[in-house]
Amino acid sequence: MSLAFDEYGRPFIVIKDAESKKRVKGLEAQKANILAARTVARILRSSLGPKGMDKMLQSPDGDLTISNDGATILEQMEVENQIGKLLVELSRSQDHEIGDGTTGVVVLAGSLLEQAEVLLDRGMHPIRVAEGFEMAAKVAHETLDSISEKFDFSAENLEPLINTCMTTLSSKIVNRCKRDMAEYCVKAVMAVADLERKDVNLDLIKVEGKVGGSIEDTSLVYGIVVDKDMSHPQMPKVIEDAKIAILTCPFEPPKPKTKHKVDIDTVEKYEKLHETEQKYFADMIKQCKDSGANLIICQWGFDDEANHLLYKNELPAIRWVGGVEIELIAMATGGRIVPRFVELSEDKLGKAGKVKEVSFGTTKDNMIVIEDCANSKAVTILVRGGNRMILEETKRSLHDALCVARNLVKDNSIVYGGGSAEIACSLAVEAASDKVKGVEQYAMRAFAEALDAIPLALAENSGLAPIESLTAVKAQQVQEGNQRLGIDCKDEGTNDMKKQNVFETLIGKKQQMMLATQVVKMILKIDDVITPSGYA
Amino acid sequence: MASLAPGGYMGLQPPIILLREGTDSSQGVPQLVSNINACIAVVDAVRTTLGPRGMDKLVYDERGQTTISNDGATIMKLLEIVHPAAKLLVDISKSQDSEVGDGTTTVVVLAGELLKEAKPFVEEGVHPQTLVSAYRKACKVATDFIKEFSTTIGDLSVEEKHDVLHKCAMTSLNSKLIAGEKEFFAKMVVDAVSKLDQNTLDLKMIGVKKVVGGTLRESFLVDGVAFKKTFAYAGFEQQPKSFDKPKMLLLNVELELKSEKENAEIRLTDPSQYQEIVEAEWAIIYEKLDKCVKSGAQVVLSRLAIGDLATQYFADRGMFCAGRVPEDDMHRVAFATGGMVQSTVNDLNDEVMGECNKFEERQVGNERYNLFTGCPLAKTATIVLRGGAEQFIEEAHRSMHDAIMIVRRAVKNAAIVPGGGAVDMEMSKVLRNYSRTLMGKEQLFINAFAKALEVIPRQLCDNAGFDSTETLNKLRQKHAMQSDEGKHFGVDIDTGGVTDTYKSFVWEPVLVKRNALQAATEATCLILSVDETVRNPASEQEQGMGRGRGGMGGMGGMGGMGRGRGRGMMR
Repeated sequence: MSLAFDEYGRPFIVIKDAESKKRVKGLEAQKANILAARTVARILRSSLGPKGMDKMLQSPDGDLTISNDGATILEQMEVENQIGKLLVELSRSQDHEIGDGTTGVVVLAGSLLEQAEVLLDRGMHPIRVAEGFEMAAKVAHETLDSISEKFDFSAENLEPLINTCMTTLSSKIVNRCKRDMAEYCVKAVMAVADLERKDVNLDLIKVEGKVGGSIEDTSLVYGIVVDKDMSHPQMPKVIEDAKIAILTCPFEPPKPKTKHKVDIDTVEKYEKLHETEQKYFADMIKQCKDSGANLIICQWGFDDEANHLLYKNELPAIRWVGGVEIELIAMATGGRIVPRFVELSEDKLGKAGKVKEVSFGTTKDNMIVIEDCANSKAVTILVRGGNRMILEETKRSLHDALCVARNLVKDNSIVYGGGSAEIACSLAVEAASDKVKGVEQYAMRAFAEALDAIPLALAENSGLAPIESLTAVKAQQVQEGNQRLGIDCKDEGTNDMKKQNVFETLIGKKQQMMLATQVVKMILKIDDVITPSGYA
Repeated sequence: MASLAPGGYMGLQPPIILLREGTDSSQGVPQLVSNINACIAVVDAVRTTLGPRGMDKLVYDERGQTTISNDGATIMKLLEIVHPAAKLLVDISKSQDSEVGDGTTTVVVLAGELLKEAKPFVEEGVHPQTLVSAYRKACKVATDFIKEFSTTIGDLSVEEKHDVLHKCAMTSLNSKLIAGEKEFFAKMVVDAVSKLDQNTLDLKMIGVKKVVGGTLRESFLVDGVAFKKTFAYAGFEQQPKSFDKPKMLLLNVELELKSEKENAEIRLTDPSQYQEIVEAEWAIIYEKLDKCVKSGAQVVLSRLAIGDLATQYFADRGMFCAGRVPEDDMHRVAFATGGMVQSTVNDLNDEVMGECNKFEERQVGNERYNLFTGCPLAKTATIVLRGGAEQFIEEAHRSMHDAIMIVRRAVKNAAIVPGGGAVDMEMSKVLRNYSRTLMGKEQLFINAFAKALEVIPRQLCDNAGFDSTETLNKLRQKHAMQSDEGKHFGVDIDTGGVTDTYKSFVWEPVLVKRNALQAATEATCLILSVDETVRNPASEQEQGMGRGRGGMGGMGGMGGMGRGRGRGMMR
């Protein structure tokens, strides 16, 4: 804090705990902030692109996570620095909104800050730098619009969607069977999509994992997979043409919610009580039977007595199914959730072509698979993998791909990947900058240079000579006027991303640039950091 | 030390102890000067946030919470100022915030400068009260002048009025993080405010929702109410999520299967009675649900929980429900749709039902939102803010709040002045001229007041990295011109030169300026009129220890307890 002195020449205490507070001001603060942000960005840089590497993170409890997903890595790293945290949130918000491109956005922000630092050293006002970046981002935004392409897809022709999802998956651990994975994702999204409203509720797609088998064994189930088993081991394992009663009441005598007490003072009364209880069980089973159900799914449990009775009456049952699953099952089978036995009737039953209990490998793990549902508005992707870490990473990758597919349903514009869009924007911004009066011109040029960081990192991670490849592609883009040229990461012999089928969503790319610019502006605008003691 | 009264002559007698031991007090001119110094130190902390090129502050508190802000009131609050005189500055920025909403930095900077100008006079032995009365006089002249100088927009057509409001909102947003999208947000703010009931302009009727993710441009204005999907039970997804012209039932009733009375106990002697009790309980809830359905409503909202049974019951009947709707959202829904919140389900009729044009559930970022749009009585609006990080949205929210307040004020008090320091320069000129008509010391003091006003354009230049002296001289020349053409000139933030800010649409509502001027003058006068600070030690003991440590260490021992930490000052 700036010091002031009173009439005796003693320093003032104007602010609480002034001495233990740290304060960094002016250019020094900006430099420190930029350094922190760049450090975070540098960690992610090597994860970018199809040949990007994974990070292994150990949590305080010793849990391991191996991931290539920017948002996940940053979240697990537990960044302490406040500016670092901003970048974590940046990548998280990209994750929430788009689901993909979480690494790219951080790398871009880091690169922008690196360029900004040079300008600050030259004495440019930080806000003018930020304003220049904003102007440049607008140009880039327009450029992206102009180079984007719309493609048509329909329920029959899913090829373009699958290709885009494949681009997303190619940087992940699952890339050896990305074709299958991409197909599952697209099919799953199309199954739940409301094409008229262009709305996709991802809650309806369940991604369930089970350790064992290999990634190739992953499958798409038009229906629900529940991690439960039949309540009685001797109940049938496969039920064809299942009529499902979905119950939220337990198999036991009903209890009033009000506090109650039954006074039993004679043997007769006791016997009567027992009798009534027995009757309840019999009635419940009868009500189920009468409705025509041949499978009971219950949110609550039931005791051995009820279980035995169910078995006796050849009513297979599943108990302790969670609320979310109950809901999904109801939606998929077109059934209604029934809160009381008396309300059971035939029209409230859900219908499924096949319900089976599947066991995995040699373990005793069982799962119930409900397939061929009446209304397959709910789907499940059942992921298999050698170990838990691969499983988790596959789930995350699938989430990314699902998001991409969803975004394409919302807006079917795409740009080409492989850094081609960035190079095109970089060229456009560079050209536009010459027409700008004032010092913002420099900032715009810096923005153009910062955009090059993405193709550079891509080339570097793929083992190519970064500068050489970038300059070659850039020159080629200008000469041929073809904005689809990017870095040939997969070494396929062509730079044309259209031929390589490398697509990214337009909104994803736009979002990356806008978000990165906004966060950079926020960081540049801070000239004063006040910290209580104990925080670095 | 003032607590000791000199006892008797020759100092032989021990001093008489007037105040409790440990009490620290100081008085007279030196303490006045030190109070001024303390205030100036605080002002230094916020002055760089002023204007379109103002910087932001990042403040963490002990819990590790981070705030990044440009808003004067917010920063002042977070600084945790303990010096009694300096605390006054926090209060005036707070009062500016609640009264006008914007100009919270301006008021602090202005007060600091007024004190700075007063300091040399105090040191030279001018009686503070003379200064106070001169400052008050100057303030009155200046406020009268603003009224005259302003342009009223009261009798403009609706479109023109909108245009003016738009400009005011843009000026307010200029200095904020979201300046890059100021046109976009200014429009949003003006639209939102114009949706309100023009007589009351109740701020509560504008809801602001924050959803992390997305870019600023994806923020949107809902002509009606929006709130986040509430906690839902199984069965919720089976409800329809979109209605055209739904009828809405607003409840303050718990729709759950539960015991009707707390602590009631039932004693049964016969097991067959059991069923009756159970049936009775179910009957109660079913009756309630049935009444809701019969009312013809398609959307049921409740402040209290809507249980799984009810959720499924409504789903079965093609209705939508949401329980645990936050109170202020409920209030807004009621207001917008014309419905009345019912605390019972008896006697539902069409009159208490709300209505809107469209209801739908929509994905916003990672969340699902319930949107009610096109309400008949829509005197409410909801702004959904999007942005890359939490702190980012928080700051955007604060900025929007400022802009909303400005527009609201401008609607009510429809007069504006040019910004960019133009009005301050003109006031300064008027005061200088006025001072020449006066005899005596006041002339000097009013001149000082006039000089202090120049701090606004000076700080604007400094923050933008321009040579403030040069720009200020240009401005003085423009404003001193005989003809009136120079009176609207202010700082041109892009080039460092001067420009007619009236023509470049940098406009502020009069109220902001007037309130800032008055609050700053009041605070200054208050500080100037204090001649003794008494700090009472005992009441500070418990919580004071922690604070004291830092202070003592720095001063190497007793006796030096900074009198700054007192609470004895009048407030």
